[in-house]
Amino acid sequence: MMKTLKLCAAVAAATMITMPVFGADYPSKPIKLIVTAGPGGGEDTEARAIAPFVEKYLKTQITIENQGGAGGKIAFEKFQGAAPDGYTLITYTFPKSIIIEHQGKTGFKTKDFTPIFAWSESSQILIVNAESPWKTFPEFLKAAKAKPLSGGLSGRGSTTHLMGLIALEALNIDKVNWVPYPGSSGSVAALAGKHLDFTMSLATSAVPLIRAGKLRPLLLFSENRDPNLPDVSVPKEFGYKMNFVPTLRGVEAPPNTPAEIIKVLEDAFRKASKEQGFIDIAKKRKMVLIDVGAQEFAKAVDNAYPNIAKYRAILKK
Amino acid sequence: MSMDVIVEAIAFVLQWQNLAALAGGTLYGIIIGVLPGLGPSAGMALAIPLVMSWHPGTALIFMGALYKSSNYGGSLTAILVNTPGDASNAATILDGYPMCQNGRGGVALGLSATSALVGGTIGMICLMYAAPFLAEFALEFGPAEYFLTAILALSLIAAVVQGATVKGLIAAALGLLLSTVGFDVIAGNLRYTFDWAPLEDGIPLIQALVGLFAVTQALVLAESAASISRIAKLSGGFLEGVITYFRHPAIMIRASAVGLFVGILPGVGQSSAGLLAWADAKRVSKHPEEFGNGAPAGVVASETATNACMPGDLVCTIALGIPGSVGAAVFLGVMIIFGIVPGPLVFSEQSQVIYSLFVALFLASAFVFIVGITAARHLAVVTLLPNNIIVPLILVVSLLGSFAIRNVMADVMISLAFGALGYVMLKRGFTPIPLLLGLVLGEMVETNYHRALLISGGSYSVFYSSFICKILILLTILSLVGPYLGPFWKTLTQGEK
Repeated sequence: MMKTLKLCAAVAAATMITMPVFGADYPSKPIKLIVTAGPGGGEDTEARAIAPFVEKYLKTQITIENQGGAGGKIAFEKFQGAAPDGYTLITYTFPKSIIIEHQGKTGFKTKDFTPIFAWSESSQILIVNAESPWKTFPEFLKAAKAKPLSGGLSGRGSTTHLMGLIALEALNIDKVNWVPYPGSSGSVAALAGKHLDFTMSLATSAVPLIRAGKLRPLLLFSENRDPNLPDVSVPKEFGYKMNFVPTLRGVEAPPNTPAEIIKVLEDAFRKASKEQGFIDIAKKRKMVLIDVGAQEFAKAVDNAYPNIAKYRAILKK
Repeated sequence: MSMDVIVEAIAFVLQWQNLAALAGGTLYGIIIGVLPGLGPSAGMALAIPLVMSWHPGTALIFMGALYKSSNYGGSLTAILVNTPGDASNAATILDGYPMCQNGRGGVALGLSATSALVGGTIGMICLMYAAPFLAEFALEFGPAEYFLTAILALSLIAAVVQGATVKGLIAAALGLLLSTVGFDVIAGNLRYTFDWAPLEDGIPLIQALVGLFAVTQALVLAESAASISRIAKLSGGFLEGVITYFRHPAIMIRASAVGLFVGILPGVGQSSAGLLAWADAKRVSKHPEEFGNGAPAGVVASETATNACMPGDLVCTIALGIPGSVGAAVFLGVMIIFGIVPGPLVFSEQSQVIYSLFVALFLASAFVFIVGITAARHLAVVTLLPNNIIVPLILVVSLLGSFAIRNVMADVMISLAFGALGYVMLKRGFTPIPLLLGLVLGEMVETNYHRALLISGGSYSVFYSSFICKILILLTILSLVGPYLGPFWKTLTQGEK
């Protein structure tokens, strides 16, 4: 018994002594950044775009590991138990993890993770085919109220789906025949081929076909207009109030990561996101850059829970 | 498209640094393809930091060559050690590996290199001259059309199972059932995952293939012959393969068409191109019984389709900004990083970069062939290695690949389970092809059926209302009834004998 107590005391003392020192010479070895999707998509590309600039400030190497299994669920569950030493970080499209939590049993909690920094944001957009009779959002709304339209989604239970449900309620539309696709490329292609009445997707996925005049954007689900799409209206211009589900791309540390380490990382990611080289890439990708620090990111996580819980029953259906 | 643009593009590609990028990308792509678990998408993602500071045109040439040539790398392992480098090489195994067993590995390598050259060139010609038109055609395919396309593809199972119909249909049904495992896109529920997260994306295809082919084969090898090549010596070489290739012009054309068609439609899995072309070639062949036992025509069909599929895949990616596969999605991401935003406008706004990419992809096919004729031809000796060396090697390399795809140990377990399944099937006289076709096409059938009905509000007329639907229905009927029509016509005209 005494032995155990002594050991405990020794371990506790050792932790106390090493902790601050640990923070001081952090980082002293390469950092692993987990991407919760396969190589290629937006999540992966943004991670790979910002990593070299972060390396410059942390003066250590960042290795990216893709763990795309089960929409990121496998990665999140592993991450919940990862050592909180700042050498394992995760990047994903927030609030995807909270939606996964609401869909079934999970071995992780997003609110346990330690937020660090988010660098970009994207909003959902409502698009119709350029040959559709609806030239403006009010014309579309009138048609949608008259009879159920078919609307493309990038996945049931996705952020797009969630935004769609919130919009139905706020706009007082009874019913839409939602047509889910795995990802936006399917729903955008089906809209371009006039197989659907409208599609909701992240704005960035639709930009090439909007610019080419094949698709017509009607409404951006955001508080303010997007500088990349200055002609697209937002709900408040028509007098509608609704919650938005903006998606953030940022980085988090495992649960209970010490504040000193988070500070070092937050500074490095913030500085990296202001680097000209990164801004150039962001411009080409039509990313909307933001500066969401650790505290603000944590607030966004807290806010997302009730927002998503409200639609939980429908999401599960 | 004026001639000036092409001439300018050729001049650009022939600059030394671009030729170097082309050669480097081709070699890198082949190596990526040979390494199991590393497909073109991972290969391109890994190369992004390397090419970041290059001229956009040069960087795209490197990436394009990488993307184009990784297929060929995958065919090498498929033929020589029964492990597909990527899902698209699955059908190459069916005849390529038995050819090795008959000591004709060199011939098979010649066939696959020639397929890369011919299939790739045919695909590129279509991409270069008809991309905007083909993209418009692809957009005509809605859920109903995709559903009927999948049914047409499934009708090919009838040809595959000839001779062992009941066992074939059992395997096909098992494949369709397995395709329902995982997240149901339409209803948003998890099905048959038993709360085991690795199954939530469905049965992972490459991991299953590694099990069905590589693991099963390692088990079989361990109990039988002394080396892969059963006759312990090689007969016929690379050049014989090249010559043999051109003895099958009809298959070459059919397979290119199948590959292009699958490639152009963003809603059809790229991995099915080779399988469908193989099944189609077997159906029209005069000696269908040779398929699966080392018929050169099988390799020709599968590899030609796979290589024609890749340029087809780029049609919608470049002309619409809609990627048809994971690989294409990465390529799209790379283009955007370099400020080239794919979409209908890219042909006018960025014509120089796009057409130099096209010219480079043409040349990449030729480079692949050169690598084949100079270096890869010697790889056939692998099949003479004794089994106590090659069996552990196949097992380690293939299981490592299955792990590397998602960095999950569970995937190795999935591979081993499929290995056991494959072994049992083999011993009981089942063939894995119908199972594969069911697994690959199941989701396409199911989700598009639901989507079509969601759009039509439950009315079945959506399945025959469009012109394309009617054509697809007609083709499906012909595909099923066709084999009986010939003899029937003969009886009718010549009378019973």
